[in-house]
Amino acid sequence: MVDALQGLLQGLFGSLFPLVWTLLKIVLIIAPLLLAVAYLTFWERKVIGWMQVRIGPNRVGPWGLIQPIADGLKLLLKEVVIPTGSDKAVFLIAPMFAFAPALAAWAVIPFNDTLVLANVNASLLYIMSITSIGVYGIILSGWASNSKYAFLGGMRSAAQMISYEVAMGLALVVVLMVSNSLNLGDIVQGQGQGYFADKGLGILSWNWLPLLPMFVVYLVSIVAETNRAPFDMAEGESEIVGFHVEYSGMAFAVFFLAEYANMILVSTLASVLFLGGWLSPVGFLPDGILWLFVKISAVLFFFLWIRATFPRYRYDQIMRLGWKVFIPLCLIWLVVVGCWMMSPLNIWK
Amino acid sequence: MLESYFPVFVFILVGIAFGFAPVLTGLIVAPHRPDSEKLSPYECGFEAFEDARMKFDVRYYLIAIIFILFDLEVAFLLPWATIFKEIANTDSVRWFGFIEMMVFIAILVVGYLYAWAKGALDWE
Amino acid sequence: MEFKTFVFYFLSAILVFAALRVITSRNPVHAALFLVLAFFTASGVWLLLQAEFLAMALVLVYVGAVMVLFLFVVMMLDINLDRLREGFWGYLPMGAIIALLMVGEMGLVLGGNYLGLFESSVRQAGADESNVQAIGRLMFTEYVYPFELASVILLVGIVAAVALTQREKRKNKSVNPSQQVFVKARDRVRVLQMPAEKRD
Repeated sequence: MVDALQGLLQGLFGSLFPLVWTLLKIVLIIAPLLLAVAYLTFWERKVIGWMQVRIGPNRVGPWGLIQPIADGLKLLLKEVVIPTGSDKAVFLIAPMFAFAPALAAWAVIPFNDTLVLANVNASLLYIMSITSIGVYGIILSGWASNSKYAFLGGMRSAAQMISYEVAMGLALVVVLMVSNSLNLGDIVQGQGQGYFADKGLGILSWNWLPLLPMFVVYLVSIVAETNRAPFDMAEGESEIVGFHVEYSGMAFAVFFLAEYANMILVSTLASVLFLGGWLSPVGFLPDGILWLFVKISAVLFFFLWIRATFPRYRYDQIMRLGWKVFIPLCLIWLVVVGCWMMSPLNIWK
Repeated sequence: MLESYFPVFVFILVGIAFGFAPVLTGLIVAPHRPDSEKLSPYECGFEAFEDARMKFDVRYYLIAIIFILFDLEVAFLLPWATIFKEIANTDSVRWFGFIEMMVFIAILVVGYLYAWAKGALDWE
Repeated sequence: MEFKTFVFYFLSAILVFAALRVITSRNPVHAALFLVLAFFTASGVWLLLQAEFLAMALVLVYVGAVMVLFLFVVMMLDINLDRLREGFWGYLPMGAIIALLMVGEMGLVLGGNYLGLFESSVRQAGADESNVQAIGRLMFTEYVYPFELASVILLVGIVAAVALTQREKRKNKSVNPSQQVFVKARDRVRVLQMPAEKRD
């Protein structure tokens, strides 16, 4: 069927065919992603509701399932207020800076050993560099709004994001040391080998176990990086005002989408880098894309769970955790893994 | 190699389009009835009494500078980390490749400790 | 026209436009943003030259880190444009000389290459070979000393940044988060067993 479609499109578009075919594949990635983003917001409200012995949204549609769509429609019909004295152009492109990297990074994510849009050599490097652009959305929206609260909030969040980017980068370096490749597909394949994988217990061969401290650093860093509770200095709903206070309507919706799209992206990365991607945890079950989705959902649930559980960090505590705990921990573990690989006990041959 | 980057290129363009499209539709579809109170920046009910873009604590610059330096360190570590498995399993270069990087990291740790001792990483 | 050529001209056009706007836009934040755009498209051009690692590192380091600092500085210093423009004519001759020198240098490098004065020693990487690994291999064999020197330069950078922004410890009532984390409940709360006392 795919071949027939390919042939049809080739006839229709001629030399433009590769472009059309790529666009089609991109739509196949983005459409489910946006749906997942919409229902992640719904799932978050439900889960936090249950954890706090409430019901959560249940009015719009059966079990409240239409709620995210109703929210989207409402935001669409709200006025996009552009405050006086703001820099109009920068004000309007700032949401794009937040959202576009969260989408563009998906170009190189492998879904299973063959299903990947762009199988480039340096895919992890690409993701690291493209996601580092996301901080501009925050800085620019804070500056362009011409509001002190937004400006202070933007600076605060930007400093927090760059602080955790260092810890994240160092954790990824340790993953690279044991993987011998920058390609995400190869990194997953590398986790499928080892003593336990041969015994049929693949779950113990994945990177999370030998690199456990890095896994913890990465998990906490991605929460800080996406500005989520308990590190939500960007917008502590009940206490402090964040960088997007002046945004309304669809301009705000893009920031909202970007936050959840980023959550899904970093959860996917955590699954691919530390939790064995599409590999099956036990030998007697087949590998497959479903495992990847299960792992992503588990990491996303972790996001919601800690949001419902922990009180908010203070800003100096956040900075201390990033600079004084995670960076030394990463450096030490980098040396430990280096020595481990040089010793006869090396498990990554 | 370049062919595999074609989808990435297209994806970046699509991502940018998706970043702009909702804002544009919002501007077109949604009502637009501005008044001076609505458009005034949020200041907890006060009138804005000075320019919002003000001078800032030097600590933010310091964090940004230290971030650049550590980002560079990561950029230097990346090529080494990618071939480290190869190095560790090749007898002729293993100790050379290992010690070389340990020296690199040790020099940077000195800088890190200096910054720590001087209180540059504190946030009071 | 080959597609690669089209992409090259597409990116170059954006790059030249962005670079021009960097020096012509009146708002320093806009100028910094155009510089971001210039870096990003330049990395696209480098990618066309198959320099994967350099292209990504350009975005990672320059767009992701250096320009963030630039924006911090530009946003938070009150830059008075009128006062900046005051000395324009006075500085013009000096600036023009430096600009001419730079144009001359670039002309030498590019022209020399064009006329075939230098032997080109650029090795094309194989199709499957990862650029990053090739760079890694070279960097840790042939270029060890420059590499270690780079770390010394980074060290100097850290020390200089910390020393230059060194300030007095302010006297405030901030708590030390480290001490706070390591607080034990029994240091703070004492649970006593007391017999009930009867009132008479």
